[in-house]
Amino acid sequence: MLDVLTEPFSQGIMQRALLEIVILGAVGGALGCWIVLSELSYGAESLAHGMFPGLVVAALAGIPLMLGGAAGIVVAALAVALAARIPGIGRDNGVAVVVTTLFGLGVLLALSPDVPPGIQGLLFGDILGTTSGDLLLGAALAAVVLVALWLLHWRLLAVGFDRVSAGSVGASPLLADAALLVLLAIAVLVAVQGLGNLLVVAVLVAPAAAARLLCRRMLPMMVAAVAIAVVAGLAGLYLSYYAKVAAGASVAGLMVAAYLLARVGSLAAAARA
Amino acid sequence: MSGLASAPLVRTDALAVGYGAAPVLSDVSFDLRAGERIGVLGPNGGGKTTLFRALLGELKPLGGALDLAARCGTVPQTERSRLDFPVSALDVALMGAIAGRPWWKHPGRAERRAAREALARVGLAELADRSFGELSGGQRQRVLVARALVQDARIVLLDEPFTGLDAVSIRRLEDLLDELAGEGRGVLIATHDVEQARAWDRVLCLNRRQVAFGPPAETLSLDVLAATYGGSIVTLPAVAGEGERLALLPPHHHDHEH
Amino acid sequence: MFEAFDYPFVQRALVEVLLLSLAAGTLGTWIVVRGLAFYSHGVAAAAFPGLVLADGLGFSATLGAFGVALLFALTVGQLAARGRGGHDSLTALVLVAALAIGVVLASDVFHSGANVETLLFGSLLAVDDADIRLAIVVAALALLATWTLGQRWLAVGFDPSAARGLGVRSPAADLVLLVLIALAAVATLSAVGALLATALLVVPAATVRMATRRMLPWQLGTIVLAAAEGTAGLWLSFETNAPPGATIAVIAGGIFALVALARSAATMYTRTRGVAQPLGLRPRVAFENSPEARSRGGEGAR
Repeated sequence: MLDVLTEPFSQGIMQRALLEIVILGAVGGALGCWIVLSELSYGAESLAHGMFPGLVVAALAGIPLMLGGAAGIVVAALAVALAARIPGIGRDNGVAVVVTTLFGLGVLLALSPDVPPGIQGLLFGDILGTTSGDLLLGAALAAVVLVALWLLHWRLLAVGFDRVSAGSVGASPLLADAALLVLLAIAVLVAVQGLGNLLVVAVLVAPAAAARLLCRRMLPMMVAAVAIAVVAGLAGLYLSYYAKVAAGASVAGLMVAAYLLARVGSLAAAARA
Repeated sequence: MSGLASAPLVRTDALAVGYGAAPVLSDVSFDLRAGERIGVLGPNGGGKTTLFRALLGELKPLGGALDLAARCGTVPQTERSRLDFPVSALDVALMGAIAGRPWWKHPGRAERRAAREALARVGLAELADRSFGELSGGQRQRVLVARALVQDARIVLLDEPFTGLDAVSIRRLEDLLDELAGEGRGVLIATHDVEQARAWDRVLCLNRRQVAFGPPAETLSLDVLAATYGGSIVTLPAVAGEGERLALLPPHHHDHEH
Repeated sequence: MFEAFDYPFVQRALVEVLLLSLAAGTLGTWIVVRGLAFYSHGVAAAAFPGLVLADGLGFSATLGAFGVALLFALTVGQLAARGRGGHDSLTALVLVAALAIGVVLASDVFHSGANVETLLFGSLLAVDDADIRLAIVVAALALLATWTLGQRWLAVGFDPSAARGLGVRSPAADLVLLVLIALAAVATLSAVGALLATALLVVPAATVRMATRRMLPWQLGTIVLAAAEGTAGLWLSFETNAPPGATIAVIAGGIFALVALARSAATMYTRTRGVAQPLGLRPRVAFENSPEARSRGGEGAR
């Protein structure tokens, strides 16, 4: 019985994948709570899509993916900020325009005939291809996000609770928004390695949305979200190992399944009460 | 407290505020002294919320002068804050401890004690660990007053705090406002209820500009009320034991201003 | 130079895109007014596993996609009607779940291989007669619904709370809009792909929005622009052998950027030419941190 659980992790590939899951679960779960409560899910999704051309260019030029991704995110964020300022367009439509364009550009680059195959990994992630260097960088960035969340906790809480009066207790909504966006960009960079462009939003939204159904205070919610993310991610690795299905997709799918489970559970509890 | 300081806590002179280039509220000249309760009257869209946003520093004055002796604490309308946000009453009161602390410092034991004391003062000691969204409207208002207490705000702004409260909650909140003023804080209350404002020290009538400012007995004449509310006032016949009363026709719709 | 349009499959794709421009021009404006961009993106992506299933099991792709997209529309509509908040997270969740299921189905169950890219980003070769029939139906329905329900959608779009106060908000009208967008997204799938439906459904409408504020010119302009961008995209995609969805997305985005630049250049020009703004009195704001205010802390709340 125990063999079934330990066997997959006898290989270096799977050990690194496990560490990667822990890292992106910690970042995605904790930051995800703020994403879900601030209704930034679209932003999270679009930053991931928007960085696609950066990733493709990095893959083509042979420079580290994180570097290309970071450049792509900066361009996407600037473009969204500019487009959202146009009267009558607004945030959501601005995001849609920028993301559609950048994603289309990335696809054009990625699918042009002279590009080596394997770039699909950028779309759906390649958690089993994590290198030690990726892990080290991911862990460092994750630490930055977690420390920043700890330091900024009360200010984010005051702004999230009530933007209008947050300024009166000394918490600036503008700074809180900016901090969340920067942290979101870093978290997307960390998670895109494992889950890819299209699935990265799973770890940023699903565990936190599940935890929100189960918890009524911020700190327990963040802890629960991290736990859900890591457990679902681990289960996804097992699923992928034994059922031989795509790793990134099974991790993302099980995170959403965890949300459904929490939703059914909370509905059942409400029905009994 | 330092008692009645001679310098006013708030003083404005021909203040004009707005969201773009054109002011939506202009010509505001009033002062708030320590220990004073001022009722801010006016129709929806008359500029009450705009004035508060200027006092909170969210809107820069377009013209005129605005002097504040201290940072304002605010009790916003609670239907605007997120009721599903995962915070307890104690968490909300503790938010008052952020102001004036370095940004990396979390509220410590002393702040927690202060927050519990503040909740006890507003009569919510036993509900400190309840979720904010589960509290009644009046209790939520008092939690926000506790937040202003933790902040030790010398100026407290309340935006329509009595809307939707039952009679008992209204009494409790009125007593609490009297206490705040009694210990030397300046209190500004935006309200729809002219009769209620008569009990306070002064009234400020706004309708896109300042209509009048002064003690309620002298200020709240029929002419001033008509200018403030744009004529939608009716005089109710005298009832036994009371004189004639003024009544306001309800505004056309109940949308919030901004 | 334009021999591309001599080929029957390109002609079919062209007819498809022109029909879709009608739907995109009318529905796209509503998407922009009502802030449904994320929903449009989600509903198109949600159709992806339906397409994979249809492809693998050999039933009509349109049926598979439409089944899943309809499910998505009804779920989101139901959730949105029941309460505020969480709408955005739910869209994201359904979207990512659909992609994950689609990928697992495609790569591990049916081994669809290169087809995945076609489904995600569109293909000139994928347009068949069923798609054209669907596009005709969608375009007709979109025009009809705009004609009959436009006033309701407009009222809610400008001020949801006021519309509710006036009794305009009817869940049925909203649901019709959501379902129509789902239909349009499914109709765009074959040519544009599951991930880039917004290239036709949102970007042209947002571009024209910068030039006009009135509803009718906006809708007409969007139809023309979407048709032009779609035609150019098809031609370029034929010439470069790139997926048409991505090509249309890049063209549409480029035109949006050009219009935005021209617009800001125009405002800057009028601002420098115009009379200097009157200099108001400089506002004076004093913020004195009094000793009492500074010594807050434990003794604050007596």
